[in-house]
Amino acid sequence: MSSEISTKGLGQPVSVGSISKELKKLWEGNEASTNASLMNFLIYTEEADQLVANSEMIQALTKEHACRALLIGMDRGAPESSVEAWITAHCHLAHGKKSICSEQVSFLLKGKSLGRLRNTVFANLNSDLPLVFWWQNELTDLFEERLFRVLDRLIFDSTTWADPKASFAKITEAREQAGTKMVTQDLAWTRSYHYRLAIAGLFDDPVAQKGFSKIETVTLKAHPDQRTSALLLLAWVIEQSGWELIEKNEDRFSLKSKDGQAIEAVIEWDEEGAPLSLLSLAGPNCEVKVMRQKGNTHLCHALCTDGHCIDFSGPADSDEPAELVASQLSRGGKNSLFLAVLPQFLELL
Amino acid sequence: MPRGLRFASSGIEGGVSNPFREDLVSRNRPEACTVVIFGATGDLTHRKLIPALYNLAVDGELPVGVKIVGFARRDWTDEFFREGLEKLNQKVSRTGHDPETWENIAANVSYHQSEFQDEDGYASLAKRLNEIDEERGGKGNRLFYIASAPEFFDDILINLKKAGLSQEREGCWSRVIVEKPFGTTLATAQHLNGVVNGTFEEKDTYRIDHYLGKETAQNIMVLRFANAIFEPMWNKEHIDHVQITCAEHLGMEGGRGGYYDKAGALRDMVQNHLLQLLSLVAMEPPTDLTADGVRDEKVKVIRSLRQWDTPELVEQNVVRAQYTSGNIDGQEVPGYREEDRVNPESETEAYVAVRCMIDTWRWSGVPFYVRVGKRLPKKATEISIHFKATPSVLFNATPGGVPDGNVLVIRIQPDEGISLRMNSKLPGTTLRMEAVKMDFHYATSFGKSSPEAYERLLLDAMAGDATLFARRDEVEEAWKFIDHIEKAWHESDKKPPMAEFPAGSWGPREADELLSEEGRTWRRL
Repeated sequence: MSSEISTKGLGQPVSVGSISKELKKLWEGNEASTNASLMNFLIYTEEADQLVANSEMIQALTKEHACRALLIGMDRGAPESSVEAWITAHCHLAHGKKSICSEQVSFLLKGKSLGRLRNTVFANLNSDLPLVFWWQNELTDLFEERLFRVLDRLIFDSTTWADPKASFAKITEAREQAGTKMVTQDLAWTRSYHYRLAIAGLFDDPVAQKGFSKIETVTLKAHPDQRTSALLLLAWVIEQSGWELIEKNEDRFSLKSKDGQAIEAVIEWDEEGAPLSLLSLAGPNCEVKVMRQKGNTHLCHALCTDGHCIDFSGPADSDEPAELVASQLSRGGKNSLFLAVLPQFLELL
Repeated sequence: MPRGLRFASSGIEGGVSNPFREDLVSRNRPEACTVVIFGATGDLTHRKLIPALYNLAVDGELPVGVKIVGFARRDWTDEFFREGLEKLNQKVSRTGHDPETWENIAANVSYHQSEFQDEDGYASLAKRLNEIDEERGGKGNRLFYIASAPEFFDDILINLKKAGLSQEREGCWSRVIVEKPFGTTLATAQHLNGVVNGTFEEKDTYRIDHYLGKETAQNIMVLRFANAIFEPMWNKEHIDHVQITCAEHLGMEGGRGGYYDKAGALRDMVQNHLLQLLSLVAMEPPTDLTADGVRDEKVKVIRSLRQWDTPELVEQNVVRAQYTSGNIDGQEVPGYREEDRVNPESETEAYVAVRCMIDTWRWSGVPFYVRVGKRLPKKATEISIHFKATPSVLFNATPGGVPDGNVLVIRIQPDEGISLRMNSKLPGTTLRMEAVKMDFHYATSFGKSSPEAYERLLLDAMAGDATLFARRDEVEEAWKFIDHIEKAWHESDKKPPMAEFPAGSWGPREADELLSEEGRTWRRL
């Protein structure tokens, strides 16, 4: 695999021992550009051929989030151990005037990896700045305590995990060991942000509020690849509503409200649809629903009572992982709602 | 929950609640309402208010079901009004112009033609608002935005009351935002406050000062109270003086001379924007972040300003000036008295510099120099905190000494940010020092553009959060301070002189002397 890994576009090859010196040279005498950095942003992948694609994501992300970007690709199957490094900068014109640049260091680690990931991270951080770590795909044995203790924010996408239950158990354990400092951010949760805002907005209407206690069905439609996104959204509905899970049968869930009302929830999978294409909460005379067509950048919010619907449109979450990360970084926060919903989600899983 | 945390409220009056609101956003929840804009055909509506509502919609921040009604005298149709708004939104919107989002906004925009003094126009407005609520759904919350010329403020408020539009109804609120100028003297401000409070309760009154909606102005409290390193030094022991500068390179283009020549720099800028900035810099830590918690502390600062209440004190502490012809950006520009719509014998100041003294324990003896002017070399608003020099030992005792004291600069506009000047050793074998600057720029650090001040303020008014709006007592205390100076300039027998400076320079020599007589200089911007 290692011989086929493309590194085109990662920038100037440098020896690992001279990264700091080479980075310094990059900025010396460069009057037209400003090197800015608000955080260390690291993308780690064990699919090393993703390095170039990840560099492109950094190019997009640094439009809004100046950072020291570290890309690490690990080829654990390579017969011999080696490390290669490249440096480059991503520059964007700010307000049509000054060029604002973020530096990027890329690493390709091959072969046995004991401790090398951790050491590579530790050796190349910008001091004092927070460390945001995007772990792509499965959490392997390299996700270990000495590493996650230094993380400020851990980003992952649970839709890429083969066994979400086992991986979430690792995350929970990591959080306990790391203390409260590490913020965890699941892109499967971020993907439903505007759905949640839309539902909250629709329930500001007194008509919807009156219909809340009479909700009988919850319908969610999602792409089959977005199982955890859909379950997290459903878990949020259940948690916020104070409902109780009575029975689970594949993708159908029997729920009960605090005052004993029975609610049926169902998740339908749509191969042709958007990642999340519908969330509907319906009762006898009132339905609140949020919909999205595949590829559309807007959500349709609708409140229907007695057959009459009022609809509005609002922004939708991006389908691009880099944009999801960027929007979540802009919002910041400790992601406490996600943690509050997590136990309910694990029950649904 | 302490209000300081300001999580979105999940409780709804009447025992019904919205469980989905909890913890999604960390501020009060804006509620859907109908925004009625008086003076809807004007520049403010087209350039600021509608683009602000549009951008909130783009960001998904605008509550679902917000409707907009423009109220003005011109005989326009809904369609004509919408077209004009769209044209300007295409030009000025911060986020660009997306036809689909605009359609959603435009579908909820209508125009109501009436004279401001015509009672019937308000009765028909009330009827129309009820119809809109019935047709399009909604709770019936109303936000009245008075953006008309100030001479109509009284009429609008009184007629709103007569039409019953200022009253809260069945769990629905009715609020008013009043644009500046809020009075022209203490007496007129008190009169206007009387009319406003005779129409709306103080809790429903939002006196807008768009400077407070600017990101950097909001950041002043964060800088002071969320960073442990500054607050212990934020007092007379460590700070030598403070400068607040609001420089404008424009003159009286676009017919603004008509308004400006009646107001002048002191009334137009110092009474509101600059005294608000000064109070944020000088206030004590509030007990919480509620609107009154913050405003209680701000008003104490304004109340503690030493009053320049004789012509002699005004002459010693205030400099007024007009610009003469000069050169800006390579272009010849006329003097103030030659400007369009300005009285050729005008006695109105286009520049003012004030030495403010705050008689509190924290600030005793620390001057706050405030200056504002037209036709200065560039557009810039900033606050600079000048720290005291280090003791005269060690480096200060060497020839040349330490180059400069530390200066913390808060840039309000443009290029919002913060910089800290400190001294550093020059590389080399000898001991030489130079001032260096640590610089934080909002634009380059966060990438994401800051929302316009009006976006934040409109959202706050919809959420019932008055923290960033001026309270009655703040406005009146500020006018009290300003009135003494205006009286000395215009009504006394010993009027302090009007200084002059060439357009494109940094103000009159007399303003430099205001500082140099105390061994200080204005910061070079």
